[in-house]
Amino acid sequence: MLVKRGIAVSPGVAIGPALLFGAENFKLSRHYTSKSAIETEIGRFHAALNAVCTDIEENQRVATERLGKEYGAIFGAHVLMARSPELVSEVERLIREETNTPERACEIVLNKYAKLFQELGSRYHAERAQDIYDLKNRLLRQLLGKQRQEMTDLTEPVLILAHNLTPSETANLKREFVLGFVTEVGGPTSHTAILAGALELPAVVGVGEFLSEVTSGDLIIIDGDRGEVIINPIESVIAERRAAQQKNESNYAALEIERTAEPITADGERIQLLGNIEFPTETGHCLERGADGIGLYRTEFLYLGVEQEPSEEDHYQAYCRVIEDLGGREVVIRTLDLGADKVPSVGGLPAESTNPALGLRSIRLSLQHREGFKTQLRAILRAAAKAPPGSVKIMFPLISSLNEFRQAKMVVRDVMDDLDEAGESFPREVPLGMMVEVPSAAILADQFAAEVDFFSIGTNDLIQYTLAVDRGDPAVSSLYRTGDPAILRLIRMVVAAADQPNRKIPVTVCGQMSSDPKFLPLLIGLGIRRISVTPHSIPELKAVIRRLTIPKAKDIATHAEWLGLSRGIDNYLQGEVSKICPQLVR
Amino acid sequence: MGGQSVSQTVTVRLENGLHLVPCSRLVKLGNGLGCDVRIRKGSLDADIKNIFDLMGLAAAFGDQLELRATGDGADEALAKIVQLFESNFGD
Repeated sequence: MLVKRGIAVSPGVAIGPALLFGAENFKLSRHYTSKSAIETEIGRFHAALNAVCTDIEENQRVATERLGKEYGAIFGAHVLMARSPELVSEVERLIREETNTPERACEIVLNKYAKLFQELGSRYHAERAQDIYDLKNRLLRQLLGKQRQEMTDLTEPVLILAHNLTPSETANLKREFVLGFVTEVGGPTSHTAILAGALELPAVVGVGEFLSEVTSGDLIIIDGDRGEVIINPIESVIAERRAAQQKNESNYAALEIERTAEPITADGERIQLLGNIEFPTETGHCLERGADGIGLYRTEFLYLGVEQEPSEEDHYQAYCRVIEDLGGREVVIRTLDLGADKVPSVGGLPAESTNPALGLRSIRLSLQHREGFKTQLRAILRAAAKAPPGSVKIMFPLISSLNEFRQAKMVVRDVMDDLDEAGESFPREVPLGMMVEVPSAAILADQFAAEVDFFSIGTNDLIQYTLAVDRGDPAVSSLYRTGDPAILRLIRMVVAAADQPNRKIPVTVCGQMSSDPKFLPLLIGLGIRRISVTPHSIPELKAVIRRLTIPKAKDIATHAEWLGLSRGIDNYLQGEVSKICPQLVR
Repeated sequence: MGGQSVSQTVTVRLENGLHLVPCSRLVKLGNGLGCDVRIRKGSLDADIKNIFDLMGLAAAFGDQLELRATGDGADEALAKIVQLFESNFGD
């Protein structure tokens, strides 16, 4: 049994077999497999070998066709080497008798042959040694690559253990067969974390290197409450965590009773509680927990896992589905928030930036890639025609200057003109708002307030940009402090700016901060009355709201600010929320 | 395997020696035979069905190889292999 610790990003406990997704490079992640996996591993070796041979035979065909038979024969000889009974039986023996992984076995056997050739001394044989290394790399690529492909054709429930997961991989996975996620890298705002939250699956990220100590098929426990990953747990631990799992579920069920209750504080203040979603199907998750609507619809998933940019119809269908399910409740649709970190090359969008977080992303990308932006806006406006006036709102991400917001607004006007000409129906008055996630936007919030219809504070990016910390980078992640006084002051500034005498603008907080119950009294104390959260956390947040009073919340906020940089702030907030609502699971 | 064993010596007349492609021709031929064939170069001894063995002989232009076939159809087998060497692995 082996226990690894990481960052708990999505609550719950999952128990099941591991499925490994290694790093992209050829650094072999593990050398040994388990006895029970031997036949599976031998099968994996043969599948890889067949694939490699098919590849080489294709090369042979092309070479024969273009260069003649004698060139083709070279590839034929390579296939012969790959299929030679000595090589195959030796790899099989290493897997069977030494419980080596196929990767390791291929490495040992082919390195041995290559070395043998090298020792023969001639230049010709040295080159053949290279052929063997090439063969080895092909096999390894197949073996490692094959594992990554399996994500799309899962047939039984597994826990996904990976170095990292790309958005396109996660977008394509069969969700019904995934019980939980663990990644070696990543932080609370990593893609895996957001996805796990959206799917309501336990997840632990930022565990550090550990894949070499696990084999596909090993029994794993992911404890998304404690941030633990347990490899090959002993019976007593399995029993203990199963009990925790059941207790979680029953606690959660107790909170579920709150579902029909309104999120009103003990002293009568109504708090708007909305859900964050990525997929239209999640609308149901929000409503069944009593959400007031969707406060953040991330539309990026329309762009991921697809070969080309989504069409207007793709957008339109997705939005209509959400609108229909909401039955007149509000939805805030955020326009494309893709960055260089989230599969950029779709549809010829510019890729690679030396500094992705500060590069061409989100609204910047949309303003440069106007056609794609207009496609999305057309679809939103057309879909909005099916909803009550004002219930569909458009939000622009990563606004960093007034000029940017004005440009985006102008594009909306252009699209409206186009729709007019085309005779399409759409609402003339659509609330247009912005994410406040760049410090410049928070600092100038009073100026923005004159032009926007609403603010939504995206705490993940706001913290990252204000403190200049990448939470996904373990070397500096301890500097990422959600309760930093600078963040609290920026939130206060936005709240104050929105509360103009002649014009009151709604301010929502979305992002991980708002989904964590311990920050809720603080946020309400800072003057926030609308929060948008992962659907899963709605019941517990509602429970806190219903036990909280506004004066108490204000006290907590004042005290938290007074604590300043002290490390005790998390403990203080945790303590306060436990006092307010002792039955909280976390 | 029946005791019949025949042998013959051949000379490598391939400019680049017994390299990968001719070795693969020998393996393919060997796989189709009903008998055992071993190829010796000095103290080195290779199974005709094992490409790594054959490559390991590092037989260069002018090297002498002793072919030994044992078992059913050894005569015929040996004739086929000798023929391959004599045609210099031509078609």
